[in-house]
Amino acid sequence: MYQYTEFDRQFVRARAAQFRDQLRRHLDGELPEDDFKALRLQNGWYVQRHAPMLRVAVPYGELSSRQLHQLARIAREFDRDYGHFTTRQNLQYNWIPLARAADVMDLLAEVDMHGIQTSGNCIRNITSDALAGIAPDEVVDPRPYCEILRQWSTLHPEFAFLPRKFKIAITGAREDRAAIGWHDIGLQLLKNDAGEVGFKVLVGGGMGRTPIIGSVIGEFVPWQQILLFIEAIVRVYNRLGRRDNLYKARIKILVKAEGRKFADAVNAEFRHILEHDQGGAAHLIPQAELDRVAAHFQLPAGIEVRHAPDLPRLQANAPVAYLRWLERNVHTHRLPAYRAVTLSLKRAGPAPGDATGDQMDRAAELATRFSHGELRVTHDQNLLLPWVHECELHALWLAAREAGFATPNIGLLSDMIACPGGDFCALANARSIPVAAAITERFEDLDRLYDIGDIDLHISGCINSCGHHHSGHIGILGVDKDGAEWYQITVAGSDGSTNSGAATPGKVIGPSFAAEEVPDVIEAVIDTYCRERRPGELFIDTSRRLGAAPFRAAADAVRRATAVAMACSTT
Amino acid sequence: MRFIDTRHDRWQRVEGEDGPVPHPNPQSERLLTLEQWHAVRDTWPPNLPTGVMLPNTLDVDMLADDLRGPQSRLALVVLQFPKWTDGRAYSQARALRARHRFDGEVRAVGEVLVDMMPLMQRTGFDAVQLRHDQSVEAAVRALGFFPGHYQGDVRQPQPAFARDLAAENAAASARDGSALFAGQGI
Repeated sequence: MYQYTEFDRQFVRARAAQFRDQLRRHLDGELPEDDFKALRLQNGWYVQRHAPMLRVAVPYGELSSRQLHQLARIAREFDRDYGHFTTRQNLQYNWIPLARAADVMDLLAEVDMHGIQTSGNCIRNITSDALAGIAPDEVVDPRPYCEILRQWSTLHPEFAFLPRKFKIAITGAREDRAAIGWHDIGLQLLKNDAGEVGFKVLVGGGMGRTPIIGSVIGEFVPWQQILLFIEAIVRVYNRLGRRDNLYKARIKILVKAEGRKFADAVNAEFRHILEHDQGGAAHLIPQAELDRVAAHFQLPAGIEVRHAPDLPRLQANAPVAYLRWLERNVHTHRLPAYRAVTLSLKRAGPAPGDATGDQMDRAAELATRFSHGELRVTHDQNLLLPWVHECELHALWLAAREAGFATPNIGLLSDMIACPGGDFCALANARSIPVAAAITERFEDLDRLYDIGDIDLHISGCINSCGHHHSGHIGILGVDKDGAEWYQITVAGSDGSTNSGAATPGKVIGPSFAAEEVPDVIEAVIDTYCRERRPGELFIDTSRRLGAAPFRAAADAVRRATAVAMACSTT
Repeated sequence: MRFIDTRHDRWQRVEGEDGPVPHPNPQSERLLTLEQWHAVRDTWPPNLPTGVMLPNTLDVDMLADDLRGPQSRLALVVLQFPKWTDGRAYSQARALRARHRFDGEVRAVGEVLVDMMPLMQRTGFDAVQLRHDQSVEAAVRALGFFPGHYQGDVRQPQPAFARDLAAENAAASARDGSALFAGQGI
């Protein structure tokens, strides 16, 4: 993974020192909250329901054991001993007092980490495929480009106060595991017929109250030009994006409103930058820079590129739990002797994506022992070990099981995505965690989970969609009605992965449900699928084939609290 | 960065009781609205030092002919921050410098806070009129935290990958008498 240079290190220390100065002025009363807010946001500090929340950047999801140990230490010494891994591959703390914020930033800087641009109306931390660099279906390793883009976007002086937040996702594989269609800019690395590398560029995707899939603005932008092309997009957005209405400020609204004119403006801007602007062509990426950064992403030392000759044979009497773990949590690797292994953070009890300080330490130890000291944070809020030798799978399974990471449920119903919701988030209309817990409890039986098969269940506590409910095969959205928590349910959404099909928002199956009805509704929806499916057909395919109607009917049949509301709304 | 003291500012607006005078008489160092400038542009002597205030909703390209080369007519462009979190004027300033090669003064007015200084300096502002409650001392300190940046900007058009960072580091260390820059301004 990328190793900080002296320049990078000084930069992060400078940022920590700058933040300490701003925080001191704020705490001394020199810097009022209105003026401090945007500054702390751009360092990852929100003020939430109970305390400030810190969102730590995990660039494109890559973490070292050393970094994760430090995150564990911060959880223990500054928080209530846990953290929450997010869909954008970051880590959030919930209970750190603001007065101690600068000390935490110093500790993060010690391990080359920070909270730069994890919030605020700026270019956010860039996300990517959790299998970047190891996926068998990869065309181009996206990580060097992620890193170059991370550097370019870090403290960009022109784009720190955009109309709204701005998210970029990159994939280099055939399958889109980074949900690029759902981002402000989605980048897909390609090779053309001549073998040259370039980007297919999507723009204007996003969730929120107006879910839109990004549209293609560049079919093949040569990799050397990508910084200029993105600069052109972001500049047009900075100039023309709406600032009068928070809900219409994302670039998706501009792209939709302007259509062809938006693309023309971007292309004209791009030519200006390339051909006229002082410093424009200087941002064409030279081969030497790509090579320098790519050198950080070479294979870890000691990796066997070829198959190990003495493969351990799977015992005929291997435990079912191990076989299930191999089936669900172990993924193929571009190197024949290696596997990628997901450490499941989805188990009965803790909220999806949560890990205690102790669990972070245990995961870091597993990475040290089995994965060359490297981990990934996945979009689905799990941890992943990218470099596990197949000979060590069994030993890893035993160790992961002991640490509570071996629930063999990756891709299944209980491997759900959920935002922190109303328990923590000041924006949320409703709680997510109790809903996730109730569904997890209802579907505890592994045989049943396996029978249901691959399914994406996504839960957001409000329309800001941090839990990506729009892209869930089943989506649950918390809404507020007269001060009570209600949940709108959708089916047949897609993030754009191979199983899920082209990215699309799900369809609503009727008026919202009361919190206590949600597990019954999910069960009714699942039962409908199990009854209607063709042999081997996944939930997403059945739901797409049938449409929302049968799911709606099944869900209506289990309404209790909402029957009255239903009657009112239909008369 | 120059900090404008409005009591001693040589640039004067041309305003009457009903707001900007529609057709002001030619005079040196007048700061005009865009409407005023359009009204007098063809009649004022070309060598008169003149400033224009540009709203942040407009494209600086509309001043293209007045910014550059032998026809350059403007000595000052004033850009606006109606709210400090409205970042449109950063793009305007950058375009004035990097695209139109404007070498007059680019000044920020409106809600200008000390923590905006690094962004302003890097996008091409060379003068600011701080909000009344802001301290010049804090603004100067705000400019001192970072030794260098990744992406190029108006002051340093070359991105980090095109520069010799080791040499920069050595030069800055020699200048500051310390190995590290971080927090040098504190």
